[in-house]
Amino acid sequence: MRIESFDQFAAFQAEATVRDESRSRKILVCCGTGCLANGAKAVAEAFAHEIAERGLDTELKLGVTSTGCHGFCERGPLVVIQPEAILYTKVKPRRVPDIVEKTVIGGEVINGLLYKDPSSKQRIETYDEIPFYANQVRVAMRNIGRIDPTDLMDAVAHGAYAGLAKALSGMSPDEVLDEVEVSGQRGRGGAGFSTARKWRSCKAAAGDRRFVLCNGDEGDPGAFKDRSIMEGDPHSVLEGMAIGAYALGAHEGFIYVRDEYPLAVVNLQLAIAEARKAGLLGENIMGSGFDFDVKISRGGGAFVCGESSALMRSIAGKTGEPRAKYVHSTAKGLFDLPTVLNNVETWAGIGAIIANGGAWFASMGTEKSKGTKAFSLVGKVKNTGLIELPMGTSLRHIIYDIGGGILKDRPFKAVQTGGPSGGCVPEELLDLPVDYEKLTEAGSMMGSGGMIVMDDRTCMVDVARYFLAFLTEESCGKCVPCREGLKQMLAIYDALVEGRGREGDIEKIETLAACMQLGSLCELGKSAPNPVLSTLKYFRSEYQAHIEAKACPAGICRALTAFEITEDCDGCHACTKVCPTDAISGEKKKLHVIDHDACISCGACLDICPTESIRTLPKVELAQREVV
Amino acid sequence: MAEHPCVDLSTTEEILAHYPHEEPSLIQVLQDVHRAYNYLPCDVLVRVAEVLEVPLAKVFSVSTFYKAFSLEPQGDTIIKVCMGTACHIRGAGQLVEELQRELGIGADETTEDFTFTVKTVNCVGACAMAPVMIVGEKYCGQAKPARMASYLAEGGNDED
Amino acid sequence: MPTLTVNGRKVTVDADASLLEACRKAGADVPTLCNFDGLEPWGGCRMCVVDMSLASWDDDWFKMVTSCNHPVEEGMTVVTDSERVLATRRVVLDLLLARCPDTPLIQQLAREHGIEATSYERNPEPTDCILCGLCTRVCDHIGISAISSVGRGWGREIAPPFNEPPPDCVGCLACAEICPTGHITFTTSSLSRTIWGKDFEMLRDEKTGEAVITRAQAEHFAKRSGVPASYFEKSDRSKRRELAKTFEKLQVLK
Repeated sequence: MRIESFDQFAAFQAEATVRDESRSRKILVCCGTGCLANGAKAVAEAFAHEIAERGLDTELKLGVTSTGCHGFCERGPLVVIQPEAILYTKVKPRRVPDIVEKTVIGGEVINGLLYKDPSSKQRIETYDEIPFYANQVRVAMRNIGRIDPTDLMDAVAHGAYAGLAKALSGMSPDEVLDEVEVSGQRGRGGAGFSTARKWRSCKAAAGDRRFVLCNGDEGDPGAFKDRSIMEGDPHSVLEGMAIGAYALGAHEGFIYVRDEYPLAVVNLQLAIAEARKAGLLGENIMGSGFDFDVKISRGGGAFVCGESSALMRSIAGKTGEPRAKYVHSTAKGLFDLPTVLNNVETWAGIGAIIANGGAWFASMGTEKSKGTKAFSLVGKVKNTGLIELPMGTSLRHIIYDIGGGILKDRPFKAVQTGGPSGGCVPEELLDLPVDYEKLTEAGSMMGSGGMIVMDDRTCMVDVARYFLAFLTEESCGKCVPCREGLKQMLAIYDALVEGRGREGDIEKIETLAACMQLGSLCELGKSAPNPVLSTLKYFRSEYQAHIEAKACPAGICRALTAFEITEDCDGCHACTKVCPTDAISGEKKKLHVIDHDACISCGACLDICPTESIRTLPKVELAQREVV
Repeated sequence: MAEHPCVDLSTTEEILAHYPHEEPSLIQVLQDVHRAYNYLPCDVLVRVAEVLEVPLAKVFSVSTFYKAFSLEPQGDTIIKVCMGTACHIRGAGQLVEELQRELGIGADETTEDFTFTVKTVNCVGACAMAPVMIVGEKYCGQAKPARMASYLAEGGNDED
Repeated sequence: MPTLTVNGRKVTVDADASLLEACRKAGADVPTLCNFDGLEPWGGCRMCVVDMSLASWDDDWFKMVTSCNHPVEEGMTVVTDSERVLATRRVVLDLLLARCPDTPLIQQLAREHGIEATSYERNPEPTDCILCGLCTRVCDHIGISAISSVGRGWGREIAPPFNEPPPDCVGCLACAEICPTGHITFTTSSLSRTIWGKDFEMLRDEKTGEAVITRAQAEHFAKRSGVPASYFEKSDRSKRRELAKTFEKLQVLK
């Protein structure tokens, strides 16, 4: 059915709500990339099969929904049973008949499938009681995990397109702009530029044809919130773009999705097709006279295409080389026409802002950073996954209360935010409220919301080297400071981690960093030194140890680190099994020994040892011992 | 270009028919072509340049700029090891080393029998299951070097 | 026409002039490696960076920009030799010297900026190509696009498709002539020319016997301009002779 008036849309909403409420029970199976990898598809199929076999769908008015990412990927596949919101983790297909029999029909909770809180060791029954979820406030991710992303009616039952209907039926384009301004929303892609200001600047540009673009090239390693939004609630992105287009007088949109996100492309394509069919995209949307359509442009695998001018060149079928932005893309962007480019999360928030009002959004967050922000909390933390919180939440709260603390209760060392453009925030800044300004002041940045937690077994020189290696590969090579500077900086870091570091290296790094920050063409090069400078600022002693003592304090840099087994070894053989070079020998239940000549210092033994009886020591000490 | 094997161009023609014949279609066409042939054969690039009216040098430039494209034939199964930050600090490097030991090939290399191609990719966005490896279409989360043989055999994921 | 202050000197330029043009008009020495009159500025070499402050900004607030592609504005203040500008240029040259340690132009420029030897790791495979992109841009500009950048980042290079003789090349030598370091080599004689591994037949002026243009280039020009290809094979000497004859006739008529 094609919706041709606002009344028809209201009727469609009502119909969707009735359908939704008529289901007395719902089984939500997370089918995000993470859970799919863990076998969620088989689980969803097993439920469908079991229910059909028992004829429960008619009897209980039961629905099985494959949803987008619940964010708690590490525990997948996740299954939620409504209305109680019982959360089962790591569900295997063979447990499905049991779940249907006991929980769905009998209302009984299966203890063994419940989430076990890592700190309290308690089993927790429902979604909302789990600290990981209980502390979240979801705006951009409001419907992810609650709806079937491939079912438009399900999305509409949960509020999709209500904001668009409100804008088209009762607001002028300028009123929409004003409402977005009131919300104080800033770009969720990293730099935090005011959404309303960007829109106004584009609207003021001359010309009739203009574009709205969605940046789905989430390239920061360690961030995946945009993937989850595109996969789990594609309609929120389309709705936001349609509202933006209405405010700007644009009729064409592009979503640039990176090549590494195949499921996001599929779900977006489906959503666009469904929305077009229903008259929510295309010509004369909801009979309002407003036309807007969206195309998907798949990226080719280049981090630099997250940069706006490179992204626009890429949509035009060219290599992703940035250009100078002395003339803004709001005036001269895609195909040299006025263009607004916003991040996935930014667009996903727009529908909610219009539906609930800008003031509602602005009531959350801090003075300068309004609303909520999605983060991917990953690395050496107990609960990894996707979270959305009001701006201004402290890092400590995020890492310890939501993340459940550090894996194996090791000491916290740093949290990396902002990807390759960001930096590492040390322990002394754990109480930092997270917003755009505070992170920048700390030498990092918001970026696309990746938070990678690092413990004492993380070498900060190695981390900086990792980002340099990443960027060296991703630099487009157009400008000298980025292309040549990264290459030379990486060469210095290679020397550091291999024990060839020399006095003066740190100063050399700092000179290069200054040239790259000032002289590079685009933000990739300008921000490339951030991981380097922030680790130098907070962890300078680790650099000095690498240079002066030829030692890696974290025991990570292989050329500098040796491993040995302490007296605590109970001879369990776990290490001998994982050692890739068979360097460990010893009889069962007796003290094991590492052959230093065969050992490649990979650390596999240390990671697996249940009795923590493997320790690292600088290789130089080993050499000294031999001399003695 | 005589030394390159000739490929069947009919698939290319089918793909080209789906897109407007203009430069903005280039990357989209190359994506589809790459999926169909598992690499970008040079005859195909010549044809794509001709039909989209883009200079061949630009087509070549784009084909070598983006990491998703390979100009060399690849193995039947592509193994992607995620090199994202979360995977890095949870030991993705060891997965690449294990593949080197197991298959005798490093990143961006193909086994002699064209069974496997190993690629290192930037963050696949599955950070919560780090380290992640994708064998064909199958994601292997919390991948361990010790289980490499089983990942390669069935692309199986960790049951632990 | 906006008036700017460059290094303390007032200078007035056309509204569509670049900041680089304004600086040069004011007599400031701003080096460039990837800029060429008539080609769209590219902003790749970063040698032309200057410190710039708009009239509306605080007096002491300067932004470092590339002058080649920055527009001019009334009341702009520009400093072309601030400490950080010079420092940035020095590092850029130091990096280029590491890449191209044996290239006379880079050695010369580096020396002028006080660098005798590179501070960084010398390129194990020295090249003369500084990746300024002039060759590919001039090739695009004349509507050929036979060569392009290949790869990205440190591995980027300039090459014809598949590193084989480029099918679209017409042998005009524009790329070789614009190359600031002489990296692009060719051979040419009155009979044939070779560049990028592709051989070309030369068209010879039928009167003077001089080789003036490749057949491929003449045909390309003819196609673009509508003028017959034979027009392009005449050498300059031939054309001057014809002109002289025309004048002779005019004299007679008088």
